[in-house]
Amino acid sequence: MAKKFLQRLGLKDKLLAIIVPLLVLAAWQGAVSQKLCSELILTPPLTLLNTLLELAQSGDLTLNILASLKRVMIGFLLGGTSGFVIGILMALSPFLNRIFGPLIKALQQVPEFAWMPLIIMFLGIDEFAKYFFVAIGAFYPMVLNTYQGVSGVPEKYHELARVFDYKSFRYLFKVIIPSALPSIITGIRLSLGLSWMFVVGAELFGSDSGVGYLMTWGRAVFQIDLVMAGLILVGVIGFAMNFLLERAEKQFLLWREPVDGRPA
Amino acid sequence: MKKLLISKKTKGILGAIAFPIVFIAFWQLFILAGFPSARFLPSPYKVLQKFVILFSDPTYSHNIAVSLQRVMIGFFIGTLAGFIFGLLMGLSKTAEKIFAPFFHAVRQVPMIGWIPLIIMLFGMNELPRVLIISVAAFYPITLNTFSGVRNVPREYLELASVYGYKGLTLIRKIIIPAALPSIATGISLGLAMSWSVLMVAEIFIQTAFGIGTQIQRGRDRFDIALVIAGIITVGVLGYSMTLLVQKIVKAVERGQVISADK
Amino acid sequence: MSNNKGTLEIRNLSKSFIVDNSPLQILNNINLTVTSGSFVSIVGSSGCGKTTLLRIILGLENHYDGEALMDGKQIVGPGTNRGIVFQDHRLLPWLTVGENVAFGLDKLNRKEKKLLVDEHLQLVGLIGFESVYPSQLSGGMAQRVAIARALANKPEMLLLDEPLGALDALTRMYMQKELERLWQLEKITMIMVTHDIEEAIYLSDKVVIMSSRPGIIKQIIDVSSSRPRDRASSEFMQIKAEILEEFHLGTEYTFAYAI
Repeated sequence: MAKKFLQRLGLKDKLLAIIVPLLVLAAWQGAVSQKLCSELILTPPLTLLNTLLELAQSGDLTLNILASLKRVMIGFLLGGTSGFVIGILMALSPFLNRIFGPLIKALQQVPEFAWMPLIIMFLGIDEFAKYFFVAIGAFYPMVLNTYQGVSGVPEKYHELARVFDYKSFRYLFKVIIPSALPSIITGIRLSLGLSWMFVVGAELFGSDSGVGYLMTWGRAVFQIDLVMAGLILVGVIGFAMNFLLERAEKQFLLWREPVDGRPA
Repeated sequence: MKKLLISKKTKGILGAIAFPIVFIAFWQLFILAGFPSARFLPSPYKVLQKFVILFSDPTYSHNIAVSLQRVMIGFFIGTLAGFIFGLLMGLSKTAEKIFAPFFHAVRQVPMIGWIPLIIMLFGMNELPRVLIISVAAFYPITLNTFSGVRNVPREYLELASVYGYKGLTLIRKIIIPAALPSIATGISLGLAMSWSVLMVAEIFIQTAFGIGTQIQRGRDRFDIALVIAGIITVGVLGYSMTLLVQKIVKAVERGQVISADK
Repeated sequence: MSNNKGTLEIRNLSKSFIVDNSPLQILNNINLTVTSGSFVSIVGSSGCGKTTLLRIILGLENHYDGEALMDGKQIVGPGTNRGIVFQDHRLLPWLTVGENVAFGLDKLNRKEKKLLVDEHLQLVGLIGFESVYPSQLSGGMAQRVAIARALANKPEMLLLDEPLGALDALTRMYMQKELERLWQLEKITMIMVTHDIEEAIYLSDKVVIMSSRPGIIKQIIDVSSSRPRDRASSEFMQIKAEILEEFHLGTEYTFAYAI
């Protein structure tokens, strides 16, 4: 599959895709070494690489990444699970939909970061406040996509379940959730992406560990290479999480892929 | 028949306002019941009082004006840049090949991640705040303009070539109108992102005025009613802006349909 | 299995839906008797209520006037004594072929399930396709899986709602032969809704002709010719002409032939 793709891409494109970034990196390095631009303002790529390696050697890198990942996971599980459960309940019960629907819609109007000062006032700035903040970010996409997926289960599947006498949990796990799965997985992906953004935000706000902390600390000691290293880490980890989830999605939704392009 | 319609409408309105009323009533009851955990939580009445004070306080309207201005400038710059960039990548495969990998790599970094860097580069002033807001608008508008331009139906392009449309005329008469629904989606997304990032900008990059600043100030003074009033203000303003943009987008689309009919 | 099970008795059945706050009569005073092990087709133009009638027999439509008795008992909801094949195969896309066939066998253990799935895939000629997903099947194959799923429950009556309507003409004729084979093999009652008159004559002991607004039974025609039936035989043609006459298409049909 990948091989075919590269072939189709053609050699010229491959070269372009490699050469252009390399040229930019070289220009960047050159600009700094020719003193066109201060090293204090724009860290050259080689220094940046060095900084990352040093961080890795001292163990700070692993430590801070793990601290951030732990927060993401806990916050995501809290927010994602509650979003999942509430989304299903809302889709299955018109009564609960009438209760939660307007509330969620109203709360959604407020940008999540506006909650941060309030959360800190009530929960302080410790770990739990961070989990809570991440959970808020994880909650919305999960609840919306689960709701959409479950309320979009086609009537024909509901009928089939009635004909074959599927009820309660058997009905939920064998018909409703599988049918809503594509939408739920989209929710998981969006939810995890936002969780990652919020964990960095929470760490920037106040923290003594994590990738966000690495950046605030870099700023405090005016070491721009640390800030940029943190930035790169944030991007790479976010990308990696999304990539892994996309892979998992393909595995989970194998049934969706028609062999010869015929729609399912 | 007419009577039925009216009663249906009133029923809908009643249903829509029933929940907020119940919610606020519960909130007030929760406070009145005197739970220890409710010690810090102001009652809805107190928040209302805060709003009355705020409405007569010129700082409040100034905060709103500053925030709106900030978001508008950033959003405008981001929209313009995103539109041009998206159009360029959509029209030229070479431009896409050169810029797209960068664009997607940089996009991986959450907006919040840029904050420490742009503060270091530009300091705590208006430029980084507006910049980050425009970048927030830039991403979705670029993406949607690009995909809109790329997905102009082949039939339209064939038709255009039959009538000898070329260059700017082709872009103006065929490509942009055909891509407009997608661009409009990008603009609404971009505005939502801008508004969200405005909070980030105002909370993280300290400033004298703005709704985010008001929320921060409330936190510093431990004035929870002020914080909640700020949050409600942000929500209401954001929602009104979303509605306004939706209206404009619909009007533009309708206008497009009419002009296409002519 | 011809133990006189799978009979259907419909008496004075009427059904109306509420559309825009006023009732719309769909079925009007339907009377129909289906004997055990027979093949009955219901034909009629779209909107004549034939699918509604089938859904009442299946138990998906409640709230009707009159009686619908399956083996002497009023139908109040779906039951495992009736199987259904919808026009869209309605296989669950996230389940494999085998899992789809086993969909109604959830109460059995793994071994019993496997036995029944194998038996019925064999029956419809799809052995070896157990682990394939529905999106990988052709329309005819998917419909055969749907038939296997319905038969796996060992129903006494199989209901078919335009089961071959979505297939191309050749696959369709092949599947008609298949249906006949399965019906002879399983010896159960089959009731099929179709708008294809030839298909109805080819398969049925009895063709029920319905007309619309409101849906009534216009005529019931017995087909007693021996099987397999020859579509080109004069007997077949005669029955077809008779049915077309009921739809006021008879004269135009012969007229078209004269040209």
